[in-house]
Amino acid sequence: MQLAGKHLIHAAPAKVWAILMNKETLAHIVPGISGLEQTGDHSFKSTLDIKLGPVSGSFTGNLQLHDLQEPNAFTLKAQQNSKMGNANAAIAISLTPVGDNDTEVMFNGDVKLSGMLASLGNRVMGGVSNTLTKQFFSNLEKELEKTTAP
Amino acid sequence: MNTSIHVTVNGVQYSHMVEPRLLLVNYLRDVLRLTGTHVGCDTSSCGACTIHLNGKATKCCTILAVQADGCEITTIEGLSHNGELHPLQEAFNECHGLQCGFCTPGMIMTAADLLQHNSQPSETDIRHALEGNFCRCTGYHNIVKSVQYAAEKISESAVAPAEVKA
Amino acid sequence: MSTNGLIGRAVKRVEDKRFTTGHGNYTDDIILPQQTYAVFVRSQYAHAKIISVDTSAAKEMPGVIAIFTGADLAEVNGVPCGWQVNFKNGDTMKEPKHPLLVADKARHAGDAIAIVIAETKEQATDAAEAVMVEMEELPCVIDAAKAVQPGAPLVHDDVPDNKSFDWVLGNPIDEVNEAMSRAAHVTTLDFVNQRLVPNAIEPRSYNSSYDPASEKYTLYTSSQNPHLIRLLMCAFVLGIPEHKVRVVSPDVGGGFGSKIFHYTEEALLTWCSKKIGRPVKWTSERSESFLLDAHGRDHVTKAEMGFDAEGKILALRVKTYANLGAYLSTFSSCVPTYLHGTLLQGLYTTPKINVDVTAVFTHTTPVDAYRGAGRPEATYLLERLLDLAAHEMNVDPAELRFKNFIPPFDGVQQPGYQTQVALQYDSGNYEGVLKKGLDMLGYADVRRQQQEAAGNGKLLGVGFSTYIEACGIAPSAIVGALGCRAGLFESGQVRVQPTGKVSVYTGAHSHGQGHETTFAQVVADKLGINLEDVEVVHGDSEAVAFGMGTYGSRSLAVGGSAIIKSIDKIIEKGKKIAAHKLEASADDIEFASGRFTVKGTDKSVGFGEIALTAYVPHVYPKDLEPGLDFSSFYDPTNFTYPFGCHIAVVEVDKETGKVELKRFVAVDDVGNVINPMIVEGQIHGGLVQGIGQALFEGAEYDENGQLTNASYMDYCLPRADDLPMFETGSQVTPCPHNPLGVKGAGEAGTIGAAPAIVNAVIDALWSGGHKVKDLRMPLTSERVWHALQEVI
Repeated sequence: MQLAGKHLIHAAPAKVWAILMNKETLAHIVPGISGLEQTGDHSFKSTLDIKLGPVSGSFTGNLQLHDLQEPNAFTLKAQQNSKMGNANAAIAISLTPVGDNDTEVMFNGDVKLSGMLASLGNRVMGGVSNTLTKQFFSNLEKELEKTTAP
Repeated sequence: MNTSIHVTVNGVQYSHMVEPRLLLVNYLRDVLRLTGTHVGCDTSSCGACTIHLNGKATKCCTILAVQADGCEITTIEGLSHNGELHPLQEAFNECHGLQCGFCTPGMIMTAADLLQHNSQPSETDIRHALEGNFCRCTGYHNIVKSVQYAAEKISESAVAPAEVKA
Repeated sequence: MSTNGLIGRAVKRVEDKRFTTGHGNYTDDIILPQQTYAVFVRSQYAHAKIISVDTSAAKEMPGVIAIFTGADLAEVNGVPCGWQVNFKNGDTMKEPKHPLLVADKARHAGDAIAIVIAETKEQATDAAEAVMVEMEELPCVIDAAKAVQPGAPLVHDDVPDNKSFDWVLGNPIDEVNEAMSRAAHVTTLDFVNQRLVPNAIEPRSYNSSYDPASEKYTLYTSSQNPHLIRLLMCAFVLGIPEHKVRVVSPDVGGGFGSKIFHYTEEALLTWCSKKIGRPVKWTSERSESFLLDAHGRDHVTKAEMGFDAEGKILALRVKTYANLGAYLSTFSSCVPTYLHGTLLQGLYTTPKINVDVTAVFTHTTPVDAYRGAGRPEATYLLERLLDLAAHEMNVDPAELRFKNFIPPFDGVQQPGYQTQVALQYDSGNYEGVLKKGLDMLGYADVRRQQQEAAGNGKLLGVGFSTYIEACGIAPSAIVGALGCRAGLFESGQVRVQPTGKVSVYTGAHSHGQGHETTFAQVVADKLGINLEDVEVVHGDSEAVAFGMGTYGSRSLAVGGSAIIKSIDKIIEKGKKIAAHKLEASADDIEFASGRFTVKGTDKSVGFGEIALTAYVPHVYPKDLEPGLDFSSFYDPTNFTYPFGCHIAVVEVDKETGKVELKRFVAVDDVGNVINPMIVEGQIHGGLVQGIGQALFEGAEYDENGQLTNASYMDYCLPRADDLPMFETGSQVTPCPHNPLGVKGAGEAGTIGAAPAIVNAVIDALWSGGHKVKDLRMPLTSERVWHALQEVI
C-alpha cells in the first residue's frame, strides 16, 4: 500500500526536526502508542494499540530512523507484528522550509501488510491510514504548541 | 468468570453458566446440541446461522450467548409443531428449494420472518429479503419459488402465518 | 425390462426432510466422547523462511494437550497428486512434496506451521496465539506468466522456472500454422480466466479418532469421495493399513470440486488422533477456507482462430499459462490439460487445433478442479472467440455457429465424432439446442429491442455460448494411459432384504445432488417396487465396498450404471428362483412391473415372494446360492458429452457501466433424464456459479501474495437479488454407451454461462459503437465504465 501526502506545519524545520527526534515527544505524536523504549541512537521498540475497522489489535515491533539529513529528511522504517498480521513500512519524510517560519512535511512510502490485516483489513486500510496520518500531524501540532507556549 | 444465562429455546427453558466469549451459535450447537443452526462464515455474511431471537430473524454467529440472556429463541428445530411441518418446510421440498441443505435452515428462518411481515411478497420482495443468505447450490431460483409457494399455501389456508414462536 | 414409470418423473426428494427440519448430520455437528479441538498456526507471508518456532509458552497454556510442528513430521510423507503429466520432452512433471506442516519455508499465505490441540476450541485458539514463529519474508511471485520469467522467485528450489510441466495436444504446430496462414480472417484474444474461490457454504471439517484396542482409525470428513481419501491417505501419506481406517462422509454442505482433494489437515488429524489417543476435530473458519480450499481456474491465455472467407473455422492455436499455486493438489495437473485442451474442438468442425499449456507454481493457494474444471476455461476461450469473430467479420454470432457445427450424430447409426484433440464424442445434435434456444429467446424480437434501447441511455446485448463438456469421468484404461494414477470406475451394490425392501450401496457421494432420490428412482423403477421400499446408502467406507466418489458429473453415468449391473444380476437370479417355483425353464420367465411370469401364461410370482424365497430357501434350485445381494463395478467405455446452448441478455447502463442480467436462456442436452426437477436444479445452481465468475467473483492477490478479498465482505458471491428467474429448456440425445443413456448435469450450467454473459456485455458495447475486444472478469461497473469511455 502506498502512503504519500504532505502537510504544512507552522514552525521552522529545525524545530519540527527536534520534536521528531526526541523520544519523549515522539511517544506523544505516533498514534496509538502505548510503549516506546529506546534501543539505540535512532531505534526504538514500540507497542501500538490500533483499531482498524473490523479488526483491532496490539502491535509490537521496531521503529528506526534512517538516512538522517538534519534538518531536511529522514526515512522512517517500521516492522510491526500482531496476531492479526504484520505491517512493514519504509517511509521517506522530508522537511522543506516555507517562508520564514513554516515547514512542509512530505511523506512517501510503502506499507506491506500480511495475514488477516491483508486479507480482511485491506479494504479499510486506506481510510485507516488517512486517519492515522491526520492524527499524527494534529499530535505534532499539539506538541509544537506546548513547546512554544510560554 | 462464567456468567449465568436463562433462555427459552423452542419453548424449553434453559439455564447455563457460560464463558462470556461464547457465541450464541456455539451455545445452541455445542451446549444444547441443536445442530440445525449452522456456521458458514463467522462474520454474519452468509446467513446459515439465522434464528429467531424474540421473534426476529437474527444471525447468531456474531452475538454472544450472554447477550441472549432472557430472550426467547426459535431455531429450525422448533419451527414445526407436533410433527406438522411449517409451510416453508413443505414448500422447500415441493419446489426443490434445497440441495446440500446447509444454508436451508437459515434460509427458511429468514423467509419465515419475511412471511410474518409480508404475507404476499413479490419476487423482488423475496429476493431482497433473502439477500443476506447465501446459497451456493440452487441459484436461488427454486428458493424464490419455494417462498412464493409457502405464501400461497398460507393465504389459502386462510389463517395467519403459523406462529413461529414457541 | 419393466418400468413403473419412476424414471423421468420429477419425484420430490426423499432427503429433504432432515435438512428442512434441522436434522442433517454434517461433520461439524459430530462431537465424539473425549473430543479435542485443533487450531492451526499459519504463515502470514506468501513466501518466507521459517527461522524458529517456539511452542514452549503455548504448551503451558490451560487445556493444551499437544502441539506439533513440521519438525515432528519430518518422516511423514506429503499429500500426493493423483495425475501424472509429462513434459513435452517426456520428463515426469515436477512434483515437490506438499508437507502436512511446513518446516523450512512457507510457500503461500496460510501454509500450516503448527497444529495446536486443546480441550476446547477457545483454548486451542489462545494457545495458537502464544506459539512464537520467527520468519524471514522472501520475494514472491503470483502471476503464472511472470513466474516462468528468468529471475522470478522460485516456489520450490528444485523446480527451475517454476515449471511443473509443459504440455501440447492436437495437430502438429506446423500444420496449424499453415492452416492459419490461409485464413481470410484471424481473431486473436489475449485474456485471463480469473482465479475463483469455490465457497461451499459448509466449511471443510474433519474429526478423527483412534481406538487402540482394535488399532482402528475413524475419520469423519466433509469429502466428496471418502474411499479415495482413505486410499490416498493410507497408501501415500501415512502408510497405515487400509482395513484399519474407516472414512465416513456424512452430510456434506456442497463441494463443487473443492472437497474432492485429499487435504493436509485430513491426514494430519488422523496422525494426531493416534499420537494423543483422543479424537481431534478441526473445522475451517471462513477466512481459512478462502486461503486453503483449492481455488479454481487462473489461466492466462492467448488464443487465435482463423476463418476462411465464408466464415468456416480453419484453425485454432492456443497458448495457456496455468497457475497451479504453491503445490500440486490432487487433480490439479489434469485440469488445464486433459480436461481443458481436450475440449477445444468444441461443437465445431475445426480441422486443425494445437494447444500448448505451461503449468506453473506460484506463491498462491493451490488450484484444482472447481465446478467444470478445465471445461469452463475451454468453453470460455472458444465461445469468446466465436462471438468476437462474429463482431469483427460483421456476421450474426448464431449464424457463424450454425456454419461451423458438427452435424448431428447419434453414436449408434452414425459413428461418434473423432476430434483433433484426442476425444471421441459419443452423440450430439448441436444445431438442435441452438435452434431451440433462439426460439425460446425470440431472437428477432431481442435484436429489435437492442436497437430501440440505444435511444434511451441503456445498451442491450445478447451473448451466446454453445458448449460441450466431457463428463461421466472416466474410462480407467484411457485416463490411465493419460497419467491418472487411479481407476475411475464406480461400485454399486443392491441388497434385496428378505422382506423385499432394498438397500443400495453406492460409491458415489451425494452432497446436494439428490442421489438418495434419483438412485432410488432407478432401482424402484427397474425392480417394479415402491420408491419408499428403497434406501440409498453412501459415504461410509465400512458400508460401501468401494467408490471413486462424486465429481465430473459422473455419479449417475458411472455409479448408476454399476447399480444397473447389480439389478440385472438380481433379476437374472430371481428368474431362476421363479422358474423353480413355477416349474418352468428360467429362459421362459420374463420380469415386468415387479412380477416374474412364465411367458404366454398367467403363472407368475411377485418380487417380494422371490426375495423371501431367496432367504428362506426351502423350495429352491439345487445348485443356486441363497440370498439376493449383488455387487458390481462399472468402468465406462468412454466419457459422456453433454452439450447445450446458453444465451444471455444484458442491459448496460451507459452512465455507470452497471450490468443488469435481464434474461438467461439455457437449453441443455444431458442425455436421458431420471429426475427432471433435480436436473433443472443442477442447471440453475451451475448457471449462478458461471454468472458469478462473469459478474461478481475473483480472487485478488496483492503483489506480496496476500489474498486481499478473503472474506464475504470483499469476495462477492452472487446473492438472491442479483439474479433473474432462469428460462430453461432441454433436448434429449441419449448417451449410446451406458445403460441409462445419461450424460451428467452437474457442471453444465457453470461451463456454459460465463462466456454468454461476457459476450452479451461486449455485444452491448459494440451496439453503442464501443468496439471492445475483451473485458476482464468479473465485469464490475468500473471495468465496463472504462470500456464505455474508450472508443466511440
